[in-house]
Amino acid sequence: MISQPGGALLELEEVSRVYGEEVEVFALREVSLQIFPGDFMSIVGPSGSGKSTMLGLLGCLDLPTHGTVRIGGQDVGSLDDATRSRLRGDSIGFVFQQFHLIPHLSALGNVETALLYRDMRPADRRERAYAALEELGLGERADHRPVQMSGGEQQRVALARAIVTEPLMILADEPTGALDSANAALVLEIFAGLESPERAVVMVTHDAAVAETALRKVSMRDGRIVSDERRSVAAR
Amino acid sequence: MSSFRDLLGVAWTGLIARKVRTLLIMLGPIVGVAAMVGAVGLTESAKGDLKAKLAVLGTNLIIGQAGGSFGSQNPTFPDDVVHRVEAISTVTSAAATTDLASVVALPTEGGSDFYQSFPVPVRAADLDLPSVLQVPLIDGRWLNPSDIALHARSVVLGAGLAKQYAFLPGETRTIKLNNANYGVVGVLGNVALDPDLDNAVFITQWAAKNDFATDGKPNKIYVRSVTGQTQQTADAIPTAINLGGPDQVSTQVPSDVLKASSQADKTLQQTALFAGLLALAVGGLGIANVMSISVIQRSSEIGIRRAVGHSRSKIASQFLLESLFVGILGGLGGAALGVGVVYLVSAIAHWVVVIAYSRIPIWMGLALLVSVAAGLYPSIKAARLEPLETLRLG
Repeated sequence: MISQPGGALLELEEVSRVYGEEVEVFALREVSLQIFPGDFMSIVGPSGSGKSTMLGLLGCLDLPTHGTVRIGGQDVGSLDDATRSRLRGDSIGFVFQQFHLIPHLSALGNVETALLYRDMRPADRRERAYAALEELGLGERADHRPVQMSGGEQQRVALARAIVTEPLMILADEPTGALDSANAALVLEIFAGLESPERAVVMVTHDAAVAETALRKVSMRDGRIVSDERRSVAAR
Repeated sequence: MSSFRDLLGVAWTGLIARKVRTLLIMLGPIVGVAAMVGAVGLTESAKGDLKAKLAVLGTNLIIGQAGGSFGSQNPTFPDDVVHRVEAISTVTSAAATTDLASVVALPTEGGSDFYQSFPVPVRAADLDLPSVLQVPLIDGRWLNPSDIALHARSVVLGAGLAKQYAFLPGETRTIKLNNANYGVVGVLGNVALDPDLDNAVFITQWAAKNDFATDGKPNKIYVRSVTGQTQQTADAIPTAINLGGPDQVSTQVPSDVLKASSQADKTLQQTALFAGLLALAVGGLGIANVMSISVIQRSSEIGIRRAVGHSRSKIASQFLLESLFVGILGGLGGAALGVGVVYLVSAIAHWVVVIAYSRIPIWMGLALLVSVAAGLYPSIKAARLEPLETLRLG
């Protein structure tokens, strides 16, 4: 178990996730994990190893059957849906393999979605969303809809949506899985640029090359963590 | 508050992003409200001319007729009948007339045989008869105090009679009443509530007494009552006139007949209203159906919204607001369409447009209610979607 001073951003304690009622299937089995500010980590493992379940629990999109998930020391399971949703919106930025942009909204609209219901003036919201797009080199594409953009651009919009709320943790699910190698390299470069002492970046992947870019590598198999390794920047 | 504004924006954007689908689900409330507005509008407008006429004539005119006791041939009222009737607190004005059955009116020198066989009714009338009837003169003037003071032999013709006599506006015409020459001074307009007056000749009470030696007792009285008190006033008139004596008085409210015929065909109206309600209900099912499918189609969007921090209640509110917008816009569209149809059909059929504007908000409210109720299930379904399943991770 790796521990670090200053407290974990996110913590799984003896977490199990069981599906099915008559026949119980353990997707995760008594997993404990701590994610700290500054972590740049990958979670790797073959299909069925529990990566996606892990991602759902880390992202507060799902609740454990047993055990505790804490964000900033707060037990996620004890919160009502509205509070948990707000916590998720404030703390975590998601990037998905299939981009998952809302098709009828422009790039700007998609980024703005993450800033809704936050007691913010529409003009301020637009300005912040635009700044996030600019940061990822998509300022000129702000008015374009997802269908008018390439895969790489769509993934960058998704990244802008993930960072616009300045979350404590970026959670990415196979972020380069749907991209060609050039775009994949660009996206990975952006991910590397997101590294910061205050923020954790977590990539769930089965792509060894992607996993190698991370400084911490958590390997999973059959619903358990089989290894949790750290590397220095020099070893990257 | 800003949260609600955000919600409105999200719901609105969701609707306009799929214009055809939105229009299709809006058809339910549109057709429903249009059918109801149209049903009532068209059935009422078909009788609109009668309603308009009724509005002009008023429904507060009462006609009293002397009935007389058993056996009397020409029953009459007492001399002071107008005074007696005006003692009733709900009476606003009254005027009496006297039938002069013995007087023969001859419009020209010839044709006396004809006019003796088919006499024109001659009536001695009070000076304020036109104002009680609320009927204007279409030519010249009515009988006035100068006619009495100057003992002038003036006569006013009913509108129908003027036509029959081929009387031209402004023409100087003399007619004979029992050999006495009378000058025509005016023509009374059509009296829709007592068409008998259209074919009568009117002279002053003074002329009746002086030239034809009548006793001057009236036998018919026209009474205007306070609006809304017409029937009570009509019931009180016989007592006020005969004061417990044996004379019979019959009263009638002539507008009642007109009112009855101006009523729209209620059965037709109710059938059409029912059809409108049915359309609304079917439309509601359509909304529920299409929105349920839409929730499935938009499951990825719902998953993303949940992932970026929108709570279940926000998702439910978003979809509920979409159905609310459908109800509002559909209701407005339906009302506009219904009113348009009523105007169009009325223009083609030459009807007077009658639209129950006060009832339109009720129907629009109904459309809104149906839409929101229909949106309830899809909204709950949307809120219950698990983001993990909709986002297909890994």
